[in-house]
Amino acid sequence: MSSAEINKNEVDIVIGALNADLTQFLTSWRPFFSGFHLIVVKDPELKEELNIPEGFDVDVYSKTDMEKVVGASNATMFSGYSCRYFGYLISKKKYIVSIDDDCVPAKDPKGFLVDAVTQHVINLENPATPLFFNTLYDPYCEGADFVRGYPFSLRSGVPCAASCGLWLNLADLDAPTQALKTEQRNTSYVDAVMTVPAKAMLPISGINIAFNRELVGPALVPALRLAGEGKVRWETLEDVWCGMCLKHISDHLGYGVKTGLPYVWRNERGDAVESLRKKWEGMKLMEKSVPFFESLKLPETALKIEDCVIELAKAVKEQLGSDDPAFTQAADAMVKWIQLWNSVNSSV
Amino acid sequence: MAGYNLEGIEAAPLKDDVDIVIPTIRSLDFLEQWRPFLQHYHLIIVQDGDPSIKIKVPEGYDYELYNRNDINRILGPRANCISYKDGGCRCFGFMVSKKKYIYTIDDDCFVAKDPSGKEINVIAQHIKNLETPSTPHYFNTLYDPFREGTDFVRGYPFSLREGVQTAISHGLWLNIPDYDAPTQLVKPRERNTRYVDAVMTIPKGVLYPMCGMNLAFNRELVGPAMYFGLMGEGQPISRYDDMWAGWAAKVVCDHLGFGVKTGLPYLWHSKASNPFVNLKKEHKGLHWQEDMVPFFQNLRLSKESDTAAKCYMELSKMTKEKLTKVDPYFEKLADAMVTWIEAWEELNPPVKNEASEELNPPVKKTQSDGEDVKAKG
Repeated sequence: MSSAEINKNEVDIVIGALNADLTQFLTSWRPFFSGFHLIVVKDPELKEELNIPEGFDVDVYSKTDMEKVVGASNATMFSGYSCRYFGYLISKKKYIVSIDDDCVPAKDPKGFLVDAVTQHVINLENPATPLFFNTLYDPYCEGADFVRGYPFSLRSGVPCAASCGLWLNLADLDAPTQALKTEQRNTSYVDAVMTVPAKAMLPISGINIAFNRELVGPALVPALRLAGEGKVRWETLEDVWCGMCLKHISDHLGYGVKTGLPYVWRNERGDAVESLRKKWEGMKLMEKSVPFFESLKLPETALKIEDCVIELAKAVKEQLGSDDPAFTQAADAMVKWIQLWNSVNSSV
Repeated sequence: MAGYNLEGIEAAPLKDDVDIVIPTIRSLDFLEQWRPFLQHYHLIIVQDGDPSIKIKVPEGYDYELYNRNDINRILGPRANCISYKDGGCRCFGFMVSKKKYIYTIDDDCFVAKDPSGKEINVIAQHIKNLETPSTPHYFNTLYDPFREGTDFVRGYPFSLREGVQTAISHGLWLNIPDYDAPTQLVKPRERNTRYVDAVMTIPKGVLYPMCGMNLAFNRELVGPAMYFGLMGEGQPISRYDDMWAGWAAKVVCDHLGFGVKTGLPYLWHSKASNPFVNLKKEHKGLHWQEDMVPFFQNLRLSKESDTAAKCYMELSKMTKEKLTKVDPYFEKLADAMVTWIEAWEELNPPVKNEASEELNPPVKKTQSDGEDVKAKG
């Protein structure tokens, strides 16, 4: 499938602006963003005016817009990296592609720039295969197929809910790891897309991600906020929590999550050692979250995405609430998110 | 420097720890090309088919060879668990080996080149895979976190970063991919040209089709579970030997807490077998796998099964109980699984643990308790 074959009208590219000057970012993505509708959401805590170059079909949203749509008290839900979720909320498209504003197109081993947008949409449009692992990875791509021993009843696959891309140069490592290996950069281009098997847990990064909004939109929850959350990814876990919820709900509803291509090139920003100075509470929260999700079973009656999120929030509050106030806040935010989602999208 | 640093293994190739098991009916000429990488190692050749044919092994290789007469002589009545006229006979080689690691390869597989043009040292990569931990409890999006130049990603729980012991390393193939007959018939010209530069752990609780063409495993950890079933002559099914072993070994590994990796190394698979012949061989399997897979997906081994052999005995009972209704073949297979373990334990008596013997001196078994566990003469 080439970019000529995907329907650009089905896609919104949502960019969370944590930096005011988006000139370099948007200019570098121009070949791949052109023809698409862009939603740029400004971090409500960012004071400067955004600088956006000409020639894009773009709608920009800021704190004022957020307050108009969800009310002033709820607008705090969208601060920092979570600003992009406002874009997810108000989009009307089938697919969302979201890339951090410090990433530019990567080059593949042949030296060609990677069209991350098209690759994400192709991933979303093709079935996922979470029920059995295919050793040649994506069986639907050109030049590959299901291998001997793959049950035929499982070869039609299931709908793909999300496409998780990767990063060359500065990989999405946590602060302790990057601080320890200051010079390490990811130079390994792994030429594969694969489905992460059902029931397998994984850390989903928000840096380079796409999802089927019609299928699972409400499940991408801006919920977990670290007390010392900052403006670099090393100081957040909002996307990791969101990813754990998304994967669990996808598994429950029989959807698939893919990982692998496309790569983006992630630029240097921030200082891992500096981030390490902050109290690394994220580690503790992760350790508590893992056994929770491992043993969690959503009720069989939860068949709609919104119901799944509500049930999940209930379970978070009951089982994790006493461990850390961050979990109670996350549970409340998830419930609030569904209310907002329903009210904003009720006319759809 | 990113990538797998195999220099250490290439300098000290662990030849005392590895046996290479090769099933063959024709010739071993393919070993000529493998000299730079495999010549250090001891070969166990399992000659299938007509035992009167003399198989020529290229000069310079150290080997032991077993034909059907040898298998019958060594196993006696238990020889009926070893397939005849099928690559599944290779598991006899696993049983007679005394080494820690097994590498098994098909005789139509050759050295492949990586994208930089460098020839791939499959055995060094397999050893690296087996000697570094697996991560089956949580998927790492940058694949193998122990590879130079990569690591665990943000959000990966720290308590799971030690990983577990690796029991199986499943390699891949460029050129002729391992397709089933229907796929071969539909896509006769398809070649695998995609070099995916990664090794990854297959998550716990997840099954995969294990191919025996380019496979390595830790015999001490999982050997008894690597039984390649009853295939070939006199059997209703073929080309499911490695599949059966792979599903069984995966559930055993998941139960015992070991990891299974897939990905690098690649080799070059040169020969596409006849798809019409393959269709005849595997067509029952195409139907039966619809039952075999849910069987493996849903079974739960008991806590008492704390070794691969015990797990496998339990598996044989479950096979008889649950799959016989699919076809009486499975009852035969279940019996053969028991025979396999009996033969395995005879050829591989349990290693005496001196420390535990001081505390718990072994009770000498009497005739009424069953056979003495020491190997017969």
